[in-house]
Amino acid sequence: MQAVASFKRWLFRLHGPEPAPIVLTQRRVYVLPTGAGLAYAAVLGLMLIGAINYNLSLGYALIFLLAGLGLVALLHTFRNLVQIELSPGRVEPVFAGDLAHFGLQLHNRRSQGRSAIGLHFDGQEAIISDLAAEATTSIGLPIHARKRGWFRPGRITLETHYPLCLVRAWSYVEPDMRCLVYPRPESSAPPLPLLATGDSDGARAGRGTEDFSGLRTHQPADSSRHVAWKAVAREQPLLTKQFTGASTMQVWLDWDALPTGLGVEARLSRLTRWLLDAHAQGLAFGLSLPGKAIPLGQGARQLQDCLEALALHGS
Amino acid sequence: MAARRKSLPLARNQELWLLACAVLTLAPDVEHAPTWLAAVAGMALAWRATIWWRRAALPPRWILSFLVVAGSAGVFLTYRQFFGKDPGIALLILFLVLKLLEMGRVRDGLAVVFLCYFLLLTHFLNAQGLDVAGFTLAALVAITAALASLANAGLSATANLRLSALMLAQAAPFMLVLFLLFPRVQGPLWGMPIDAYSGMSGLSDTMSPGSISNLSLSGEIAFRAKFEGELPPKHMLYWRGPVLGFYDGSTWRAGPRQAKVSLPDTAPGPAFRYSVTLEPHNKPWLFVLEMPGSLPPGAILSHEYQVLSKTPVRSRIRYELKSYPELVQGIDEAAASIDSHLRLPANNPRTRALAGQWRRESGDGEAVVHRMLDHIRQERFFYTLTPPLLGENSIDQFLFETRRGFCEHFASAFVFAMRAAGVPARVVTGYQGGERNPVDGYLIVRQSDAHAWAEVWLEGRGWLRIDPTAAVAPNRIEAGLASAVPVGEPLPFIVRADLSWLRQMRFRWEAVTNTWNQWVLGYDPQRQREVLSRLGLREPDWKAMTAIMAVLCGLLLLGLTAWALHKRARHDPTLGAWNRLSRKLARVGLARKDWEGPEDYARRVALARPELGHGLAAIAALYIDLRYGRLSGTEARRKLRRLVADLNIPSRR
Amino acid sequence: MPISPTDEAIRQAGRIVLGKERQIRLALVCILARGHLLIEDLPGVGKTILAHVLAKLLGLNFHRIQCTADMLPADIIGVSIYDRNSGGFQFHPGPIFAQMILVDEINRATPKSQSALLEAMEEHQVTCEGETRVLPDPFFVIATQNPYHQIGTFPLPESQLDRFLMRIEMGYPDRAAERELLAGADRRDMVASLAPCMEPGELIELQRAAREVHVSEALVAYAQAIAEHTRLSPDYETGLSPRAALALLRAARAWALIDHRDLVLPEDIQAVLPAVAGHRLHPASGAPASSSTDLAAALISEVPIP
Repeated sequence: MQAVASFKRWLFRLHGPEPAPIVLTQRRVYVLPTGAGLAYAAVLGLMLIGAINYNLSLGYALIFLLAGLGLVALLHTFRNLVQIELSPGRVEPVFAGDLAHFGLQLHNRRSQGRSAIGLHFDGQEAIISDLAAEATTSIGLPIHARKRGWFRPGRITLETHYPLCLVRAWSYVEPDMRCLVYPRPESSAPPLPLLATGDSDGARAGRGTEDFSGLRTHQPADSSRHVAWKAVAREQPLLTKQFTGASTMQVWLDWDALPTGLGVEARLSRLTRWLLDAHAQGLAFGLSLPGKAIPLGQGARQLQDCLEALALHGS
Repeated sequence: MAARRKSLPLARNQELWLLACAVLTLAPDVEHAPTWLAAVAGMALAWRATIWWRRAALPPRWILSFLVVAGSAGVFLTYRQFFGKDPGIALLILFLVLKLLEMGRVRDGLAVVFLCYFLLLTHFLNAQGLDVAGFTLAALVAITAALASLANAGLSATANLRLSALMLAQAAPFMLVLFLLFPRVQGPLWGMPIDAYSGMSGLSDTMSPGSISNLSLSGEIAFRAKFEGELPPKHMLYWRGPVLGFYDGSTWRAGPRQAKVSLPDTAPGPAFRYSVTLEPHNKPWLFVLEMPGSLPPGAILSHEYQVLSKTPVRSRIRYELKSYPELVQGIDEAAASIDSHLRLPANNPRTRALAGQWRRESGDGEAVVHRMLDHIRQERFFYTLTPPLLGENSIDQFLFETRRGFCEHFASAFVFAMRAAGVPARVVTGYQGGERNPVDGYLIVRQSDAHAWAEVWLEGRGWLRIDPTAAVAPNRIEAGLASAVPVGEPLPFIVRADLSWLRQMRFRWEAVTNTWNQWVLGYDPQRQREVLSRLGLREPDWKAMTAIMAVLCGLLLLGLTAWALHKRARHDPTLGAWNRLSRKLARVGLARKDWEGPEDYARRVALARPELGHGLAAIAALYIDLRYGRLSGTEARRKLRRLVADLNIPSRR
Repeated sequence: MPISPTDEAIRQAGRIVLGKERQIRLALVCILARGHLLIEDLPGVGKTILAHVLAKLLGLNFHRIQCTADMLPADIIGVSIYDRNSGGFQFHPGPIFAQMILVDEINRATPKSQSALLEAMEEHQVTCEGETRVLPDPFFVIATQNPYHQIGTFPLPESQLDRFLMRIEMGYPDRAAERELLAGADRRDMVASLAPCMEPGELIELQRAAREVHVSEALVAYAQAIAEHTRLSPDYETGLSPRAALALLRAARAWALIDHRDLVLPEDIQAVLPAVAGHRLHPASGAPASSSTDLAAALISEVPIP
């Protein structure tokens, strides 16, 4: 098995991830007849016997034209694939067990379009795409991400049977791509360990002035900045403007606070679930892992940072 | 993956393509297939079309199985066998329509396409004319487009057709090379079924009243002749065919095959050299201008001076000959042969009586011949394509009652009368005349030129040709059938003389057909050797031909590969000149980086090679104006091209 | 040959802001392209001086807003105050009513104030108590910002960053420039002694000329290719928006103008690209960390000129 694999690597010049852009030069595009192509050849053979037997001069012409068509199909199929430029595109992080979509850009520098180019990872569903002339086509190639961490999908097969199904042209590429796979969120995790309703201290003091929330009657201790002067101008009693924003809930997710019986992946899985919940509820959250801590924060960027830390834990 | 793609269900437009292909392919078979099969195929196609239209389900498997069995049984009952040309075609048709009914996946679509390709070949068994070739080419484009649609259902119909036409055009050079050089094998590879050559028409070796006039209704070409030098005068154009020496009272027949004779060593008078391209007629005789002075290879000469090939002529053949119109044969005819040419059945008493009277009155044979010809000339005889039907004493009836007849009546009556008068005589059938095609100079001889005449043997003078038809209708000999028969008779459309533009077109068409026949259909092992030796290939054997064929195909493939790899140059000539500059400078290691702007590039080059700075600044300035400024016009572009071309890059050392 | 006002402005400014000709040019381009400028760097590298010098040289009236955490939108825009004498409201325009505004340390202001300011920048007008007041023309904002990690700051959200045509970094002066700086006269005195080198009307004329610089089809394709590349490449978290691509062309036009050309070259786009695209691009997660400006510079070498 090992020998076959290494022979294949040698035959198809596979040497690990390649730098972008990858150009499918003629030396790395392979062509062979398909089953239909072999059947076509067999039909032509039968026809030739018939033409010889019945001395059909025009039959010879027909058969030779069809034989030429087979050769032309070979080159058309080859041409359909050769000189495609391929460069890796975006890869959005996914959770383990989900389908990761590896973005690929296929540049077609030719002034004619290309049709029915299929791409797939080994053993995965193929995406079939047409490439417009002198344009770049982006596709997302799906593959199941099974384990958390950096996921390298391996080689991609590009193949085409266009235009006549008689010939298969294919090529292997291994672009330098990876996808960040977050741990799979635990499906039935305990509720969030809410820390406390935050108090307004230090740098966060300004938050309390952010959003205007209403008016109340003025009290002597209130700042004159917060007096609703417009109301005064309308000859109403002195009112004080009220602001909110300082009462953000906080949650601190601590590795060490989890039950001791829980394994590493189970811990990561639970923390992932909690992070998602905290973000969904608009809380401020922080994360502490052995050897790494992420301070309290909020928003999508904070979530990303925390999930990345979980995904890459221990690596 | 490949397998998975083949088992994809067919899209609706793919189904439509395949259906259209099948209809197109099967259309010419309607004429030749048995009626029941044509009906079944038509119904199956209609059924499939309805399924497509209504988006209904395909018929269940048991119905299809039943149809396969029933259809095969029908074929067997029709032909009593499964092997051979016609049952084979019938089975192919059956499979095609049933495959269409079963067709649900791409794999089935491929099978349909391959069957269509195969069926195209079978059409050639019936005809291989230019029209058939044109139809086949059109069908080929359509079927290939269907195949292309199987590979990519998203392509529009016109795109499919364009692709298919392009690919076939690219395949054409391969076809030419293979056609010329593929080592030809003379078929058949195995014994032919008897049915292979049915339906060929031509003269037979019997003649009865009506047999030649029937043939005359056909405008089909019997053969073509090409003379070296001048065409012989019309009255010499007697193409000798079967010689009929036996009469049973109603039908003239050829005598039993007798020893062949050799050609005379010397011959008098002028000679004509010519070649004949004979259409297949499934009979052994070859038509030659009277009288033959040489024989085509492999042919023999019978003692009746008839040229015979060893096998029936089943494909178009071409032979070269020399003829001497003044050659007379049979001066030393054997007594037994002379006797046999005097035998008559015991009917037609009035003719016998008249002939006996002539013989008694004039004494010698030649005088009798003239009495008979005078008789035909002076009595009210008519030359017509539609003579009345004759009874038992047909010659008496013709000579004394109806007096209306075609050449076979005249020839038959003449020979009968001669024999009755004691002059040895026989009927010769063949063709008389022909029409010169001014386009290519070929003489075209049609079935409508079929003719029968007589030969009489006179002591010391041998066999002499006497054409009694010439006595009643001299025009038949000098100007052809059309001018000899009365107006209104059912002549073949093709020989009517009154439509000159039509004739002109016909001449052109026939010249093209002739070229087609000579060079495409007649391209056999012999012709292949001829062509190749003319191309300078001496003694071409199959090894040399295969080698050359492989080399040429390889070259064609290389050319196509170059095309496949060719990156179309950008259309913008300004950019073209700019890229050329970069390529030029690449030789000294100063290629433009593809993200480098023109000013930066010019500056970098000037820094590296100060002597180029001035020239490059001018080029960059012009390029900037053309590409990024408002300047346009061919003049400026030409100037840029010139500047780039003129830029002289001295190598450093 | 008469020296063009832009050349003169660059020369004059270069005498005061030493060794920063590129930044001066970019700032000028930003004004000519009718955009706003964000200068991001540590305190004390000459951000404020640059703004002062430009205002002086271009003959614009100048206001400065020093942002603090307790600043309110009204502190920028102005307030209507009830005037007991007239019995109505009197609008007291804020510092924003000037032709050139220096917003110092914009990330110290609260998001609310920031957005009020940026809205004014975008629309060239302010709405106060239902009344719309048009800002002067030309109108130009130079905002300065300390790098993110300083304490007590509110980093501008991405959507607000997009309102700045350019972001530039000053950087430390090189050794020679710094020595000259230390030895030379006080910069503030030098600024005070500057004479404007153009009339306000002249500046508007230049802005109009910048709009009319020719951009060829090929160049539009180049700008588009750059934007497209950022959208597709895995190196960037989000790609450049169409607005960013427009900004790129606008800035490139002005750059061509101060280079005395009436057509835009790919080099012009490359010259302004780091400043225009730098604050609009972020490296993707997992990519090696690099500054936004480096990212934009790398972008140039990744996109071939069509």
